[in-house]
Amino acid sequence: MKSRKIGLHQFMAVPAFALYAVFFIYPLLKGIGLCFTDWDGIKAAHFVGLRNFIDFFHDQRALSDIRTTVLFTLGSAPLLNIVGLVYALLMNSEFRGKSIARMCIYMPAIISPLIMGYIWYFLLQPGRGFLYHFFDGLGHPEWFGNWMGNYKSALLVIVLVNVWQYAGMTMVIYLAGLQGISRDLYEAAKIDGARWVDGFLHVTLPLLGPSIRINVITNIIGSLSVFDIVMSLTGGGPGYQTETLSIYIMRMCYGSKTGYSVAVAIILFLIVLIPVAASSWLMRKKEED
Amino acid sequence: MTFRIMDEGKGMDIEMKKILCGLRYLIIIMISLLCLAPFGILLILALNTPRRNFYEGNMFVPDFYFQNFPDGWKQSQIGHAMLNSGLITAGAILLIVILGAMAGYAVARCKNKFNQTVYLIFLCCMMVPGIINTVPLYGLMIRLHAVNTLWGMTCVCATLAIPQAVFVFTGFIRALPMELEEAAVIDGCSQMQVFWKIILPLLKPSVSAVVILNGFGIWNNYAQAAFFLQDRAKHNVPQALSIYFQQFAGARWNIMAATAVIAIVPVVIVFLLFQKNLMRGLTDGALKG
Repeated sequence: MKSRKIGLHQFMAVPAFALYAVFFIYPLLKGIGLCFTDWDGIKAAHFVGLRNFIDFFHDQRALSDIRTTVLFTLGSAPLLNIVGLVYALLMNSEFRGKSIARMCIYMPAIISPLIMGYIWYFLLQPGRGFLYHFFDGLGHPEWFGNWMGNYKSALLVIVLVNVWQYAGMTMVIYLAGLQGISRDLYEAAKIDGARWVDGFLHVTLPLLGPSIRINVITNIIGSLSVFDIVMSLTGGGPGYQTETLSIYIMRMCYGSKTGYSVAVAIILFLIVLIPVAASSWLMRKKEED
Repeated sequence: MTFRIMDEGKGMDIEMKKILCGLRYLIIIMISLLCLAPFGILLILALNTPRRNFYEGNMFVPDFYFQNFPDGWKQSQIGHAMLNSGLITAGAILLIVILGAMAGYAVARCKNKFNQTVYLIFLCCMMVPGIINTVPLYGLMIRLHAVNTLWGMTCVCATLAIPQAVFVFTGFIRALPMELEEAAVIDGCSQMQVFWKIILPLLKPSVSAVVILNGFGIWNNYAQAAFFLQDRAKHNVPQALSIYFQQFAGARWNIMAATAVIAIVPVVIVFLLFQKNLMRGLTDGALKG
């Protein structure tokens, strides 16, 4: 057909790729070189071998940041998917006010996590917070704890606020997937005597494959590089306990340890690579079956 | 006898269905309220006089004190920050949509080696969190004199969103019927004209999806802004809010809330304008790629 004739349209991917190459691929490749240096952002860089990486694994704060980041991801990625899927199942049929309900659920996702963090901080702050007064009003002030002042509960609060904010985004992707499933399949399953659970397990879940993959991967990546919500809710506190790797990277970069912070970024990249590689391996295995 | 039992069974079924339906409505309303509650609290806070204790009297009826808005507007210079955020977002969205759609068209319709490789690179790089490339990018930005400039931030934000946009547009264009384009070519259009005159107008739903999925993230960008927009005159909304909020250390919630409301309003308006097309943009092929 016409496409055999060489035309300008064949090269329409060039501008996008050029922008990407300059602002993403080139710095990324450069970063691989920089992570072996003591560059401070201004002066010339000296090669220091693996010292940045050795320093990283001797820094208690860095190791605690890895733990926080991974724990946050283990909490938030599965929860986001479960809550998002439940929302989508609830929303995936005709009822009055459907689009309004969808809008409400998506609404938190469009607001700056920074503002969200401040609102939740207002609700949760010890002694004066909204929830304290709520429990006080119920006659049980002792139900309220200083949730932001303790590592475990602060982390839990960050996970829950994150899920609350982004479940709508996950829901929208699942809804799009659900709408691609033909009604006939459910009818057929019903005629064969399948219960709702069977239909869900054997029709919905397998056909939702692509949506699940997209959601799981984006949620894992987003959670591993979480920044804003932690900054505004705890600022990494108490101490440095809830600091995540991406905040650590920014603080190290500000602290003129640029080479070191590039090394930390590379480590974060390797951490991200593990679940991504695992998921694409699982995907390929499934396709082979 | 048997008939009557069946009838009773059916009656029970309908009853059960009604209860389930009502229950579902209740759950959906509760979820929606949960998602909107913080907005309500923000609004009530913004409308209270600074002297009022939030928990005094009926906390759900604010004072309707509007002086917080002009005060917050003046002190925080949020207007300037909103202008910066708006310019960055508009520029980045324009870049993302035009470059992304061009690349999507090339990938979907011209299956040459270059386009396929570009697509593969985008797919892989979609997995790399932006924060990883931010620190090495800082060096490049200094050399390009792009730190503390709006165009620099625009390029950075567009770059981070391009892979996903290409993915969405490619899926959408692949799902479009070829006949339209073939007819246009027979009528004497070149392939470039086909793109600008036929494909681009058809992309409207997926443009909405791309705007919603990326636009708010760019408006609210904090992680990259913390690096590239340090100059006070170039602050975007989250930067300005976080600096402004830090002055009060959580002491003047009313004025903070009023400022946050001002910053939220344009976002909500844009969301309401685009949300109708969001679902269509996602369902019509975006996820099938």
